[in-house]
Amino acid sequence: MNQATDTVIQAADRLYKSHYGKIVSALLQFSPGIQLETVEDIVHDSFAAALTAWQKESVPANPAGWVYTVCRNKILNTLKKDKKVRPLSDTEDFYGIEPIFTESFFDDYQLRLLFACAHPDLSPKVQVVITLKYVANLKVEAIAKALGMTIDGIDKLLLRARQKIKTEQILLAEPPIADLGHRLTIVHKIIYLIYNEGYKPSTGNEILKEELCEEALLMNKALLDSGAGNSDTRALHALMLFSAARFKTRFGSTGQLLDLEEQNRDLWDQNLIKLASDFLNQSRSGTISTYHYEASIAWLHCTAKNFRATDWRLISKLYFQLLQMNPNPFVELNYAIALYYAGEKKKALTIFDKLQQQPLLNKYYLLNAALGKIHLLEGNNHKAKEYFLETLKQTNVEAEREFIRRMIDKSS
Amino acid sequence: MLIREDLLAREKMTKEEFDRNIQLMTKWIESMAESGNFINADALHNAGRYVGRSYVLSDGPFIEAKEAISGFVLINAENTEQAASIAQSCPLVLNDTAVIEVRPVMIIENESSN
Repeated sequence: MNQATDTVIQAADRLYKSHYGKIVSALLQFSPGIQLETVEDIVHDSFAAALTAWQKESVPANPAGWVYTVCRNKILNTLKKDKKVRPLSDTEDFYGIEPIFTESFFDDYQLRLLFACAHPDLSPKVQVVITLKYVANLKVEAIAKALGMTIDGIDKLLLRARQKIKTEQILLAEPPIADLGHRLTIVHKIIYLIYNEGYKPSTGNEILKEELCEEALLMNKALLDSGAGNSDTRALHALMLFSAARFKTRFGSTGQLLDLEEQNRDLWDQNLIKLASDFLNQSRSGTISTYHYEASIAWLHCTAKNFRATDWRLISKLYFQLLQMNPNPFVELNYAIALYYAGEKKKALTIFDKLQQQPLLNKYYLLNAALGKIHLLEGNNHKAKEYFLETLKQTNVEAEREFIRRMIDKSS
Repeated sequence: MLIREDLLAREKMTKEEFDRNIQLMTKWIESMAESGNFINADALHNAGRYVGRSYVLSDGPFIEAKEAISGFVLINAENTEQAASIAQSCPLVLNDTAVIEVRPVMIIENESSN
């Protein structure tokens, strides 16, 4: 492959990454009657056409405008064949209004798309997938790899979301301002879920997963910069930055998973921790959200000298507050772990017992891993090993399995 | 969400199959908890009592029914549409073991309170 071809492919890829969603939504506004699937097909065709044309000639000065014009002409041709669907503005006006595609990665257009993806009728998972598709402009294949799903699975979710979009046309109409406040909560949740997907060890592709964390931070930053955010946005930003400060230290020199106790705290990014602390301080006005509690917990971890010196008592209190706001057995598990390290062993063990009795939690790998660790610390190596062996059956994420095998060695 | 499945088929499941399904459900519930939707869930035994005004049956017709309630999940959702969208991602629905009946909890608006 020659260098010129490379340059063209890169330019097209970059354009796809920054403008796919924008071009789709601009075309939908131009012709509201048209189906989203048709528009997406046309945009894909036009990108393919761009590759061929640009290799013959060169990359035009305004590549986004070039692709948009090709798409628009293709749509006009489609509409001519199908008289039922008419362009919104009758042809002449339409030629006059060419959307202005800015070069900036994140502009108002994309922010509006983000709020459109936060449609209350869709499940959080579908919201995440369409946000990755239309706001982050990831290709279906990349989304599947990053989320550890099949392409078929993603396509099915998109198909359902498209049907929704078809009837409600959520990408078309900017949500009324009155709705924005309500949707902001959903937008926060989408960003939080995307970040978590990128952060937790899984079977997904590691590079793509890191990209998810970056996308989440980028979207949240855009929210803050636009003035559409509130104190929850700042708390969420703090939470993500505290995690980002530890991003690289979660894995050792041979790629092995390290828990909080094993991580080299000297490698934690102090600049990010400082930045995160500033956001947390700025998030104090207004109501307290789960992000405030989670960010405060992350702050305590990030600023503790070492694992032992961590203020576990305060962390357990924060988990207790979190539990009042979002009562679920997974938060309860973290609460029990914090209580254990805070020295309230009896109270912790009572909660562990209770969780074990629930069939849906009994087979949960993190519960069994935590029980293994606690028995190990208490010197009950035999019991610890039993729990770790149990855990090994409950996760198929290789990094986690390797970690558990090391714990089994320690308990033998 | 009322989870309905063929209880006879569930009874015939091997322990491995049953455990596998429970594990899939745990994972699903974990993701619902992460998104703040999850409240509570339980799996139910196949056998129980079937009670009417003049009878108590230990082997009610629900055992024979093709689709009887095998468990429930209580969630918080924006609306019924979203709840249905969440239900569609249930692994037991996806592997065709169960169907889910999505029913909003009834809330009576208290008109006098203001």
